Amino acid sequence: MTTLGPTLLPWLVALPLAGAALVPIVARRDARWAGGFTLVVALVTTSLASVLVAQLASQGPFSADLGGWAAPYGIELHFDRFAAWTMPLAALFAFVIPFSWRYLDAPLPRERWAPFYALMLLNLGGLLGFSVTGDLFNLFVTMEVVSLSSYALVAVAGRGVAAWAALKYLLLGAVSSLLVLFAVGLLFALTGSLNLADVSVRLAAAEPSGAALLALASLAVAFLVKAALFPLHVWLPDAHAIAPSPVSAVLSGLVVKVGIVGLLRVLQLAAGTGISLEPLNTVLMVLGATAIVMGAFLAIFQDDIKLMLAYSTISNIGYIVLGIGLASPFALIGAFVHVFNHGLIKVTLFLAAGAIIHQTGYRTLSDLRGVARRMPQTAAAMAIGAVSIVGLPPTAGFVCKWYIALGAFEADQGGYGFALVFGALFIFVYYVRMLDAFFFRSPVRPEVADAVEAPWSMRAPVLVLAAACLVLGVLGGIPIGFVEPAVVDLLAALGR
Amino acid sequence: MTLVGLDLDYVACVVLFCVGLYMLVAKSNLIKKVIGLNVMETAVFAFIVTSGMIEGGQEPIVVAGSAPPYTSPIPHAMVLTGIVVAVSVTAVALALIAQIHAHYGTIEVDELKELP
Repeated sequence: MTTLGPTLLPWLVALPLAGAALVPIVARRDARWAGGFTLVVALVTTSLASVLVAQLASQGPFSADLGGWAAPYGIELHFDRFAAWTMPLAALFAFVIPFSWRYLDAPLPRERWAPFYALMLLNLGGLLGFSVTGDLFNLFVTMEVVSLSSYALVAVAGRGVAAWAALKYLLLGAVSSLLVLFAVGLLFALTGSLNLADVSVRLAAAEPSGAALLALASLAVAFLVKAALFPLHVWLPDAHAIAPSPVSAVLSGLVVKVGIVGLLRVLQLAAGTGISLEPLNTVLMVLGATAIVMGAFLAIFQDDIKLMLAYSTISNIGYIVLGIGLASPFALIGAFVHVFNHGLIKVTLFLAAGAIIHQTGYRTLSDLRGVARRMPQTAAAMAIGAVSIVGLPPTAGFVCKWYIALGAFEADQGGYGFALVFGALFIFVYYVRMLDAFFFRSPVRPEVADAVEAPWSMRAPVLVLAAACLVLGVLGGIPIGFVEPAVVDLLAALGR
Repeated sequence: MTLVGLDLDYVACVVLFCVGLYMLVAKSNLIKKVIGLNVMETAVFAFIVTSGMIEGGQEPIVVAGSAPPYTSPIPHAMVLTGIVVAVSVTAVALALIAQIHAHYGTIEVDELKELP
């Protein structure tokens, strides 16, 4: 039992990547097999992640040295409480995949199904690798696996407008990746090591220098682009709105969190160096609060439901970044929980929106009036997701936003607490618009008036996720208990 | 080699980086933007390789008669992986540009923006 964790850890990353390579072979006879195979791989990977979390709980952090070379010279995978905190996000994949089965009928020809599922698994493998890597250069490589598969997934449904959105995403994403590579090179030149833990020890031992500051600043900016923090968000709305709905769910719910996890890694690296984090925290608080208000404000004017959800992501990333910038225990707990809860809520909303678009063929509020009469279950899931993201009790969104607001007052930054409430009001306005159109207006389109509920393979994931939004709101103590160790570790590293 | 207190090779990297950044931001042609990105990537690769070099350093292969100082091999390995990543990014970008051209008939950003 004692060696189970280190033995299994490499498989957490290797399984989805190997699965991605196998998808085209499985799909050779019948493209529909690709979807089933992908679900199996995603489920096995998720179970593996839960075994690793259980191992962590019983034996503490463990690592695996790849290729038999010991750290700090070999490449290390490290599973600590910080990595464990990101694992539940991977479970959301198991809901997105079955939803895709029937959804892909409309936007994708059969011969593109295998590449689609292969890219989804590559994305999952990259995300998991990014969470568990203990190596600075691998951080860059896994980030690129995630980014490249995301660019391709945005464009996968073909047509020029998707390619244009994907290219805009790529050009900004590539520059931010380049900044990460530059910073990795600089940190290696400064410290002579690539192991994350080792680099942070050696940085702390060395004199604080301009070069170290430059490296950490490049990393922070690069990850904020990946997280789409306002005003670095310009690539996000088109890419997330134009992609097929399962892809939007993954991009909005999971892929932007790469930036957040990366940002937290930068904070851990910088913690011991003697470089003051105060300026960074101030920038994060100001930009976070601006993102909350601006994201919500821009969302009000959208008629396209997916574009509205994309702007809502910008606003919610603002909540998370504000929580990190406040850096008080309550705010950090709120931010950490919101990383998962926002993922859960946004996947629910995008999948529900996808089901509605799939069944009616329309995607704007004015066309979708009265859709709740014909699709009551999906519309109810959408309503639960909307209430969650506004942050009303008793839903999942309330817990984290309440903690971040408490954190603002705890850090003696009450003004940001008001920005948060103000943003929530804006968010409330545009979701009320959506619910009003869905529930209280008469249909204007014959396709909406005659729509039927989505098939069960699409409806079941949406309903289960919506139920989870309610359960995690009522039992808010569970996610808080789960992230608390990771927050305690971070606070200890930051010396607070 | 130093020039007024600055390492000339690092200065060259910064200049190259800025040239690439200018192309990426200012050019309207999408292919030129991608080439600008490649120039920026080259600047970063050159910087990383240079950082591993030392004056009079030998290739890090220990055989009879070789003696320190050696140059660091790790930056080379990193840059090799970086080049693979850069090639993949360029390939995806060019594929997307081909799709844009097939659909809109143009690859100029100012013309793409005017389209509905």
